[in-house]
Amino acid sequence: MNNDLTRILTSRAKLPRTNLAEFNRDEAAEGGCGVIGMASSERIAARHMLAALAQMSNRGNGKGGGIAAVGLDAAEFGVSPDVLHNDYLLAMAYMDPAARAEVEAQYIHPVFEIDHVREQPHMADYTQITGLDVRPPDVVLYFVRPKAEELAAFRAEHDFVNLPARAVEDEYVYQNSFKINTTFYASLGEKRAFVLSHAKNLLVLKMVGYGDDVIRYYQLEDMHAHVWIGHHRYPTKGRVWHPGGAHPFIGMNEALVHNGDFANHASISEYLAQRNIYPLYLTDTEVAVQVFDLLYRTYNYPLEYVIEALAPTTERDFTLLPADKQRIYSMLQSSHIHSSPDGPWFFLIAQADEGGQGEAVYRLTGITDTSMLRPQVFAWQESTVDGESVSIALAASEKQAIDAAMLSLAAEDPRFWSRTDRYWNARGGSHTDGGAFLFSVHDDYKTKPKLVLTNKFGEPVKQPTRRTAYDRAAYTPAPAALPQGAASEQFAWALEQLPGWSYQQLQDFLAGVEAGAGDDAGRARAIELLSLLMDRRYPTGSLRRSSLVSLVDESFARVMAAIRKTPSAGYAYHVYGAGLPAPASPAQALVLDAQGYPPQGDDSVGREVQRIVAAGFRHIIIINLRGQRFIGNGIGTNTQDVHIHTYGSAGDYLASGMDGATITVHNNGQDQLAQIMKAGRLVVHGDVGQTFMYGAKGGSAFILGNAAGRPLINAVGKPRVVINGTCLDYLAESFMAGDPLNGGGFVVLNGVMFDEDGQLAELETPYPGSNLFSLASGGAIYVRDPHQRVAAEQLNGGEFVPLSEADWALILPYLEENERLFGIPLARLLEVGGIPRPPHKVYRKIQPGSVRALQAEEAWVTKAKTPTASGGH
Amino acid sequence: MADITHKTDEQLIVEKHIANLHNGFAHWPRAEEAPPALGDSRWTQDLILATWLMAETGKPPENGLEYKIGASGGGFDVLDFNIPSEDQWLPADTEIDLSIPLNRRDDGAQLKINIPMYGGGMSYGSISEHVMQARARAAQHLGTFTSTGEGGYPPSLVPYKDHIITQVATGMFGVREETIQYAPIVEFKYAQGAKPGLGGHLLGDKATDVVAAMRESVPWVSLFSPFPFHSVYSVEDHRKHVDWIRTTNPRALVSVKVSTPTDVDMVAVGSYFAGAHIVHLDGSYGGTGAAPEIAKKNIAMPIEFAIPKVHKYLVSENVREEVTLMASGGVRTAYDVAKAIALGADGCVMGTAELIAIGCTRCSNCERGRGCPFGLTTTDPLLQQLMPADWGQQRIVNMYNAYAIQLRDLLRKLGLKSIRELRGRRDLLKYVG
Repeated sequence: MNNDLTRILTSRAKLPRTNLAEFNRDEAAEGGCGVIGMASSERIAARHMLAALAQMSNRGNGKGGGIAAVGLDAAEFGVSPDVLHNDYLLAMAYMDPAARAEVEAQYIHPVFEIDHVREQPHMADYTQITGLDVRPPDVVLYFVRPKAEELAAFRAEHDFVNLPARAVEDEYVYQNSFKINTTFYASLGEKRAFVLSHAKNLLVLKMVGYGDDVIRYYQLEDMHAHVWIGHHRYPTKGRVWHPGGAHPFIGMNEALVHNGDFANHASISEYLAQRNIYPLYLTDTEVAVQVFDLLYRTYNYPLEYVIEALAPTTERDFTLLPADKQRIYSMLQSSHIHSSPDGPWFFLIAQADEGGQGEAVYRLTGITDTSMLRPQVFAWQESTVDGESVSIALAASEKQAIDAAMLSLAAEDPRFWSRTDRYWNARGGSHTDGGAFLFSVHDDYKTKPKLVLTNKFGEPVKQPTRRTAYDRAAYTPAPAALPQGAASEQFAWALEQLPGWSYQQLQDFLAGVEAGAGDDAGRARAIELLSLLMDRRYPTGSLRRSSLVSLVDESFARVMAAIRKTPSAGYAYHVYGAGLPAPASPAQALVLDAQGYPPQGDDSVGREVQRIVAAGFRHIIIINLRGQRFIGNGIGTNTQDVHIHTYGSAGDYLASGMDGATITVHNNGQDQLAQIMKAGRLVVHGDVGQTFMYGAKGGSAFILGNAAGRPLINAVGKPRVVINGTCLDYLAESFMAGDPLNGGGFVVLNGVMFDEDGQLAELETPYPGSNLFSLASGGAIYVRDPHQRVAAEQLNGGEFVPLSEADWALILPYLEENERLFGIPLARLLEVGGIPRPPHKVYRKIQPGSVRALQAEEAWVTKAKTPTASGGH
Repeated sequence: MADITHKTDEQLIVEKHIANLHNGFAHWPRAEEAPPALGDSRWTQDLILATWLMAETGKPPENGLEYKIGASGGGFDVLDFNIPSEDQWLPADTEIDLSIPLNRRDDGAQLKINIPMYGGGMSYGSISEHVMQARARAAQHLGTFTSTGEGGYPPSLVPYKDHIITQVATGMFGVREETIQYAPIVEFKYAQGAKPGLGGHLLGDKATDVVAAMRESVPWVSLFSPFPFHSVYSVEDHRKHVDWIRTTNPRALVSVKVSTPTDVDMVAVGSYFAGAHIVHLDGSYGGTGAAPEIAKKNIAMPIEFAIPKVHKYLVSENVREEVTLMASGGVRTAYDVAKAIALGADGCVMGTAELIAIGCTRCSNCERGRGCPFGLTTTDPLLQQLMPADWGQQRIVNMYNAYAIQLRDLLRKLGLKSIRELRGRRDLLKYVG
């Protein structure tokens, strides 16, 4: 073992010990939480974080929130750029104002050269923030450098012979903070002060409250940083909470927020204790960041290896790694399995790092656990402004938080627009992306900082698009003349024109659409046409899709605003707080403006939809959704003629329990869609999240994009589903949906996507995961796999069988409907390399294998003559 | 003698067996010589016979059968009450209230049950439809509840829906929007004490055609419910889960059934803060026996340890008066119920005792499709006829009536006018091991 490494670990043995009786108590026992992070080539104001966190507040309970910022603006702190870049920013939280003098006298003045001290401003009265019942700590920021003589003594004392100066300095600051915390915070009873953060150019603020409260209380709205992470905590127990228990937690040069929890907190604590590291706050999250700091700073592992040690590559994915990686990963796994968090977790890490040639790297890293048990979404938007790249990448526990941040940003900064170019999920512990993405802002202090996106393996994330973004210059469009005809005909016409259009021509066209929406027929046509422009994937010529669709969103909003202003026989408009409307006629559609509705509870959109359906509306258009949950839940069985459309960010559990109605999601869906769905139809013009159709009994669903983890788990009966993309893993685990050729259920997995040119393309493999149709006893998967890329070892109990005529007759109508809904031509699906092929050469059928042993009882139990009970109604 | 000319052989066989069984259940407990080979140390021969007698007569046994404790040498069997001297008893005509509220929060229906007990979840498939009907009708008669378990909601139970708890368990078998909307109480089964760390598991032998039809699954295949809910990996997911049920059925109370790991106190408080009205602790002694051997042998914390741990923690968190704490998992007698309440529960959830009342002998053949000689834990169309629902209903009602007599008697001697006053009175208990 490297001597300096041993010496660092040994040096920590001299640190004061915490009370070991408390050592293994997982006091906080986090449950889940809401997390969001962003990294940008620009410095982004905290108010955009506030918008995202405020919208996600139902992921916390107000008992802990915090933010971390990396890549700060020197002027905002009253220091020179040199001081910001070179000094340690020691952020002290004082719960007891009297502690300040003691901390400074013992641990700051004697050991640091102080270049600047700043008292963090805050609201005069914390009780002005609803729900805040613990006074947040006073925060003092010290820009400091360890004194040369202190460093020399420290180096000599611990015999750090060859350790670089920066490593000695870091360790010195780290141990000094540990001493502050053990003296003033972790000691029994008293909790008077603690270190919020101590890295260069990195600041953590946290308290007992929501994450957005931190921004409000410390008046950070106008503070700017290249990298942000934010967190709402949902601790499950304790009446008394302390800000030290809130996220983010720090190591040395990083801050970590965490959604989930792990089962082996005690084991990891033990692992750290063997290396003289004693966490002070008794939560799994702190332990995680200490492991990260140990592996990255002390062991000097490359980030790839750190990530592998945290989230090991397993199962089939491991066998698909190159041989040299297998060798190294195998060593990492054997060495670090005891420090690998076991359980559901998703980490966001904000890091103040160094690159080559003295440049600073401000990094946001998102890592999911190998089993992908927590939801996670990544997004990226990039454009060129004045010849320079303007880029932002985000990661969050749900997409609506990303949407909220981007809407907030787009509203005031013309370089950004509301939809990002790409949204994607990481596949935990995989050979494809490693389950982690690193968004690094490189700052050489001379030129404009650059954002570089890579996966765990250091492979660059493919640039979303080269097409020009809309520059949002002021332009007054002149309504263009549209051809007469139905919306579908106008849409076809627009697609023909689009390759030649500029943004101005597009805006003229949209103005023409709006001008034509004067009467009810025109409104219906405009809504359908604009929806097609949002939903479909098509060539956009020189225009960038995300910009184009953002303009369509704005046009759609104007059509809705006109309905609000002038309701008609065909369209009524309903807002939060207004009296429940009654339909003027059975055909009248209702536009439900979701703005202001809470995400759950009696006042929620979900409950309002129940009331609206009960009032007799059959056609409901929900707009301005900001993550509200439970849409279409509880509307009952007699709803076959109800059609609900959702626009904006529809939240979790949409269509869950649905028993007859149709819901069309004109965007991506989130988590837990269509749980236990019994009947009806769900159409999603995008991706769906975790545990899609868990325990479903029936109904049909059409998904344009991908499903995340565990779609169709434990589904029974006769659900019929077309997923055009793929899934992260565990598709149709324990599927029990009878015999598809005899009324049972199935999933068609097409394994295709639209590329950025709007062309249909095959994915590298229709199914990348190791667990397809595991333990299934009924139903079938029909996978489009003409190149036979799905291997038998990916099936856990299932088996490939040839596609029969009857199978094709069964799925054909669903593929035809799929074409009608998404514009994915059946003929194209049956082409392989441009050549039409017969269905059985393109689709493969997976059915349950020999899971069903002959049961001893089966042979002699009395057969029921007629079933005494049926699951139907 | 009934006219036998129009009856099939099968009917005649069933009738003969029913007559013999009922005759046996009626007379066996009163036999001069104790019948052999019944029971085990938890459910002793005396306890089984006493339960049969109570189910027959509606009164506590007076023939010397030990009906208060078993012979386990631990648990409730080594606890007894400190009964004060007779001069401190309440007068014999004192009205003693056995009712408990199930909703102590200020939202939703203010449900109350007349006795501090309701029926625990046993799924269609693990038990017969007749047993489910008997339990539901008894619950209606008594003014309390029973639970569907995780195997669907047979249409024959719908008339009793105001007394039926819909269980939402990890396999979501048989759970539909409609069955959630039927229910005054929805119970999330996160875990059960008989097999913590495992989901429900209906062995392939029992997944007959009708059971599979109810669950919309494939016959003769073992039905595993996952562990845990794949949509709930955290307390904030749980909160969302509760919100979902309350959106689907806003009037439903929410019960959270958990097993008893060492941090059960934290789980209970987390459940409360996420909106649960009832926290239901399921300790280690319970279970129908319809579980794999390995699960039956690797079990959670005994319920008598879990109850005070959770009760004290809820008190220290200042939320004890906001939540109803129910206990199950080896609660066999009226005295067990009283002891659980004195340890800190509000009431108990009963499973096996109800099965004993209708003829169970604890022979532990429950996991087989035709294993149950009394037609209880079977869906075999022939076998299940051995336990007619109306007979079973009366037996269960009688057993609870006998319990009520014992509870009132005990409370009167303890000087308490209400079962609610007994809660958490550990000072009234003594260790007699």
